[in-house]
Amino acid sequence: MTPHPTRRHFLKTAALAMGMPTIIPASALGKDGAVAPSNRIVVGAIGIGPRGREDLAAFLKQPDVQFVAIADVQEDRREIVRRMANKRYGNEDCVKTRDMFEVLGREDIDAVLIATGDHWHALGIILAAKAGKDVYCEKPCSMTIRESQELADAVNRYGRVFQAGTQRRNVDNFRFAAELARNGKLGRIHTVHASILPLGESHDWLPAQPEPAVEVCDWDRWLGPAPWRPYNKNYVQGRWRGYYDFHGGAALPEWGAHTVDLCQWAASADDTTPVEFEAEGETIHARYASGVKLVMRLAGFKGEGKWLVPGTCPVRFEGDQGWIEAADSGKLVASSPGLLEGGPSTQMAGTDPTQHVRNFLDCVKSRAKPAANADVTRRGHIVSHAASIGWRLGRKVNFDPATETFVNDAEANRMCSRARRAPWHA
Amino acid sequence: MPSIHPILPALLVLALAGSTPAAEPPETTLLAVLASDAGVHEKARACQQLAVVASPAAIPALAGLLDKEPLADYARSGLEGIPGPAAAEALRKALPRLEGRLLAGVVNSLGVRRDAAAVADLQKLALDPQRGVAAEALASLGMIGTLEAAKILDTALTTGPAELRIPAAHAALAAATHLAKAGNPAAARDLLKDVSRALPAGSLTAVAQRLLDALPAS
Repeated sequence: MTPHPTRRHFLKTAALAMGMPTIIPASALGKDGAVAPSNRIVVGAIGIGPRGREDLAAFLKQPDVQFVAIADVQEDRREIVRRMANKRYGNEDCVKTRDMFEVLGREDIDAVLIATGDHWHALGIILAAKAGKDVYCEKPCSMTIRESQELADAVNRYGRVFQAGTQRRNVDNFRFAAELARNGKLGRIHTVHASILPLGESHDWLPAQPEPAVEVCDWDRWLGPAPWRPYNKNYVQGRWRGYYDFHGGAALPEWGAHTVDLCQWAASADDTTPVEFEAEGETIHARYASGVKLVMRLAGFKGEGKWLVPGTCPVRFEGDQGWIEAADSGKLVASSPGLLEGGPSTQMAGTDPTQHVRNFLDCVKSRAKPAANADVTRRGHIVSHAASIGWRLGRKVNFDPATETFVNDAEANRMCSRARRAPWHA
Repeated sequence: MPSIHPILPALLVLALAGSTPAAEPPETTLLAVLASDAGVHEKARACQQLAVVASPAAIPALAGLLDKEPLADYARSGLEGIPGPAAAEALRKALPRLEGRLLAGVVNSLGVRRDAAAVADLQKLALDPQRGVAAEALASLGMIGTLEAAKILDTALTTGPAELRIPAAHAALAAATHLAKAGNPAAARDLLKDVSRALPAGSLTAVAQRLLDALPAS
């Protein structure tokens, strides 16, 4: 959907040029509850696995979305998506391809959904922005601090609408909790807590297996900017997480992309980062220049963490007049019942991307910035990566939010970037 | 609508994670791995560790891998991280002996390092279709984003081959951003105007105009 009425104009002028009747059916103009082609957002996708299909389902149920193409390096995955789309529209129109550049090169596509493995996210966002596409990308969106900067710079330079798949910004209980903190209902915020997964990263290589035919799985393209290693089917079947080359930040951004991001929002710190990070076991303590503390602590799978609300991805915001906690169950717990007045009447799963996708689509039309826009994503992801670098070094590190570099710490600064496998570059 | 899918990644991470970070081995140990008959995996890992701990003493060993598949990309990871001019010099010296994908990788590393001393070498590569990395060289010139790099991009936009206008325009947009940040909005403005002149009206010229509008008035 371009911001100007070019498609409606095109429909009429093309009809004239081709000698077709200029009486356009009402459904094409948006009557009968249908959305006129001129108001539809044409969407393609790149790299859609299980989570990507949940995002895609949210796109497909929006009446103003026309999903037209899937690019995936794996044939079985692209075929599943093609069938999903064709079933939704009752036709056979969805195009599948191994090559993402066939999607990015289509002028009729307005926006792309990217849900590849993490090591492709930032580069995919940058390539899409350069191709003039708006982007909804699953999280974590970057492997390093540098990639967090690059993706935001590209989105801003090319003037694209970007939404990270950090959907909890548009899930009712999380949003209510963050707004309570931001609106001063908890008093002066002094501590925000983000749940994280156990930290770690493997440098192992799985045993080499024969590479499948490129039409079945294009291993070279699957690797993309990640360094070469021999093929093993486990990687392409989704078990790439935990490996340093495919999963940035020692797994901290896996949930930090959500929970640290929510803490940044609640602490009114979307435009900055903490100035210091220090790991204590698997808990990382950070401090903003304002004095607010950010505590990243284990999620509670094994009973650790002492979270009060059931569900994954818990967060807790504490002020000098009260506190509130939220998690993926959709529930809230607060220091006093009065704080919950006016809260969400139903419980929405924290994993549900529907409202977040809708927010993105509305912004594609209005050109406003979505909730998880590139600038918010840049800083939230940098916080996760910086925290993981402090954990990896096993000592306190100081960070300058203005330059987005570690202060007088060459060792830490050398961990902010990784070389991309040639010929891939930003 | 809770489903198992969103939790699967977490469970997989849990299966692999929970380790304690180990300090990187000393540089001498890692260089010994590179000099040994260790396997590709061990040498690849040593290069990644050198990216964090290497001093200029590691440069010859890493540079020696720039023409060796599949370790060349790992070696670039090491060389991109070493502070000081010697690592960039080693990358530049490797340019004549490399070709194809490996040459493109080193060209990219020079851009990542924003190596101003590489501008002349990148200019040659941008003008030499036989080397096959003209677009990559232009991209790196955009990342370097100095006045000298901008002049080459200006030439590519105004008198270069038609097939390089689009990569030159993308590079010019990046370079203009660098120039503006460096306090030279006039040079940024000239480069953005070149983009508008070199290309037919479209999305890239619209981007150039938007960036022009955002520059401070002269």
